[in-house]
Amino acid sequence: MTDLSCSALRYEYPGGVRALEGVDLVISAGERVAIVGQNGSGKTTLVRHFNGLLRPTEGRVLVGNLDTQTTRIAKLAAVVGLAFQDPDRQIFSGSVEAEVAFGPRNVGLRGAELEASVREALGSVGLDGERQTNPYDLGYSRRKLLTIASVLAMRTPIVVLDEPTTGQDARGIRTIRSIVDRLAAEGRTVIAISHDMRFVSESFSRIVVMRGGRIVSDGTPADAFAEDGWPLLRSTNLEPPFAAVVGARMGLGPTPTDRAVVDALVARSSGVG
Amino acid sequence: MLRLEGVSYRYAGATGKSLRDVDLSLADGEVVGVVGPSEAGKSTLSLVASGLAPRAIGGTLEGRLLIDGEDVSGQPMHELAPLVGICFQNPLTQLSQVADTVFEEVAFGPLNLGIDRIEVARRVTRSVEALGIGELAERDPRRLSGGQIQLVAVCGLLAMEPRHLVLDEPTAQLDPEGKRLVSDALLSLAAKGTAMIICEHDTDLLAQVCSRIVALDAGQIALDGLTAEVLANPRLEELGVQPPAPVSLRRALDRAGLKVALPA
Amino acid sequence: MLTAASAIVLGGVFWPLLIVAVAVLVPAVVAGVLPTLLRYVVIFSLPLALSALIVNLFFLPGAQTVLFRIGPITATAEGLSFAVEILARIAAISGAVTLFYLTTKPSELVLDLERRGVPPRLAFVANASVQTVPAMAERAAAIVAAQRARGLDTEGSFVRRLRGLLPIVGPVVLGSIGEVEERSMALEARGFTRPGRRSLLWSPADSGAQRLSRWVLVIGFVGLVFARTGGWI
Repeated sequence: MTDLSCSALRYEYPGGVRALEGVDLVISAGERVAIVGQNGSGKTTLVRHFNGLLRPTEGRVLVGNLDTQTTRIAKLAAVVGLAFQDPDRQIFSGSVEAEVAFGPRNVGLRGAELEASVREALGSVGLDGERQTNPYDLGYSRRKLLTIASVLAMRTPIVVLDEPTTGQDARGIRTIRSIVDRLAAEGRTVIAISHDMRFVSESFSRIVVMRGGRIVSDGTPADAFAEDGWPLLRSTNLEPPFAAVVGARMGLGPTPTDRAVVDALVARSSGVG
Repeated sequence: MLRLEGVSYRYAGATGKSLRDVDLSLADGEVVGVVGPSEAGKSTLSLVASGLAPRAIGGTLEGRLLIDGEDVSGQPMHELAPLVGICFQNPLTQLSQVADTVFEEVAFGPLNLGIDRIEVARRVTRSVEALGIGELAERDPRRLSGGQIQLVAVCGLLAMEPRHLVLDEPTAQLDPEGKRLVSDALLSLAAKGTAMIICEHDTDLLAQVCSRIVALDAGQIALDGLTAEVLANPRLEELGVQPPAPVSLRRALDRAGLKVALPA
Repeated sequence: MLTAASAIVLGGVFWPLLIVAVAVLVPAVVAGVLPTLLRYVVIFSLPLALSALIVNLFFLPGAQTVLFRIGPITATAEGLSFAVEILARIAAISGAVTLFYLTTKPSELVLDLERRGVPPRLAFVANASVQTVPAMAERAAAIVAAQRARGLDTEGSFVRRLRGLLPIVGPVVLGSIGEVEERSMALEARGFTRPGRRSLLWSPADSGAQRLSRWVLVIGFVGLVFARTGGWI
């Protein structure tokens, strides 16, 4: 069971920019956490500490019992898979298959196990029919799904996705939501950075809101998108999802998703709540 | 007035056609939204409507592109630039890289057209003010946020004073703040009567700006009608387009048998 | 540029050092780039300077006067003086080149060239290529991060790291190619391919003083060459 924890984490970039000003965060194995906040709030800096790409200026980050300060990135990559936002700053192989096999091979998978991991990953993003295709013959949104598959194939207990739904159409978003569901069902931890409040409220059970290098709120979607939380969201340039706004206007209590609105109305009309 | 008549297009070296027999017209002052799943042909449509396909990228075009009633197939790209402007989704690749200030960046297009520099300066000032980015005029465009760069790119197009604008997923790679900046700009352009074709996944944005919506599927037009009608059409979701949030909520309520009216 | 050439032409120690002082250090102070200049010059010339020093100090053929010995190798006075001459020249040349690089804005240089008749598209390519270097460096860094996150070992043996180059070089090049197509479309959409001259918003300021000093430098240089070949200095 791999938990992830940050204690009093501070980070300052070489030029002097203070990106994290004291973050305490514990993510237990199997949680689904979304990290949201405006540009510059520290989200990207934070997740880069999870696999050792960045090392704390002060404080500590523990992945399981590995201290990222003293562990090689290549070793942490076998525990925390991080899929970046821009597929074109990652894809280098001439075929979808080779691209997906790169990660798992680096972390030591071979033979039948390697083949199985590649096959599963391709299946989960719907690219199993494109094994020999050149990645650049795929459109942007499928290239993005490819980069996610490349990380899934590494079979890491913790998976971090940076803006997975940006540039995706409805089908792509559905695919990503089913990936998040499946990872959670397998007991793997899923962490995502996203600015899509709808995606976040529908697929994650915990929302961490960041601003100015700090965590300013940490709770369920219902907590995060309840009406009294809106000023905080707006202070970090976020808007609550439509369902939450409608629910508030109709006096239904916290309704972060369409489903929640339906449930609240059903409860109200049957005289409950 | 911009029109695609019976347009089919095949990319150079491709086996199939990316657009098949498309008829689309954009009247003066109209704002038309184009939706569709990825790889349905939205970008191809934008490239054809702006003239870049086939002029800049080759490929085979059948059918006609008519601007203000004239078939422009014989005209080279630089003659089309003042008629149709096109904005892409990646803000960074639209910067010329040779401008040290936003002012120079916006001036790039008209300067290329050989317009006299006093007139260029006037146009730049006008477009920059039209989009409300006056205070960015002296900044280095490469250091701006994604949303701001998109605004600069649109200004750069406006400075050539085209009567039609084509925007290919202008907010796809932007964060919420950038999306807001660009949406507001598009709203104000629409209010000023600029004819625009906007390709987007964000149907909430299109709902605010467009009078008409066209849905593409596998290179063909599947739906074409008034915004409210098309966005509420169940076929849209089947095509792989996420309807605007109010429509989704409405559907969820209908499925649960709740006939509640939603607040405006 | 002429400064650099002069340093080569002149012999001895004194003249190159004088040139360094006048034509490099003084303008550097005026332009406010002296510390940066010194830093760059030291960093870039150090390897060359060190090797020149060592080779000449110890191995100058025909040198007689011994200064000291280290084991089987002998340091000579002639070697030292020759080495110092070379170092002075290196300082002058690298100083001049660095000064040029630090004080000239690529966009201004290119704009001026365009004004003098260089075809706009050529001027653009020159300008844009220089400007995209920082963006490419940033791209490369992002790519390295993404590959390391997939377990690419950048901290292992040399051979390992060499093998690790492809996943980095690949996307840097490929991504750039993909971007090039998008960029060129955007340029075409802004009338870039229109034949003929384009208008210029402004031309870099070219004062009388600058023009005069350019002529002085050219004449001075020609004079130096004559003087040297004529054996006067």
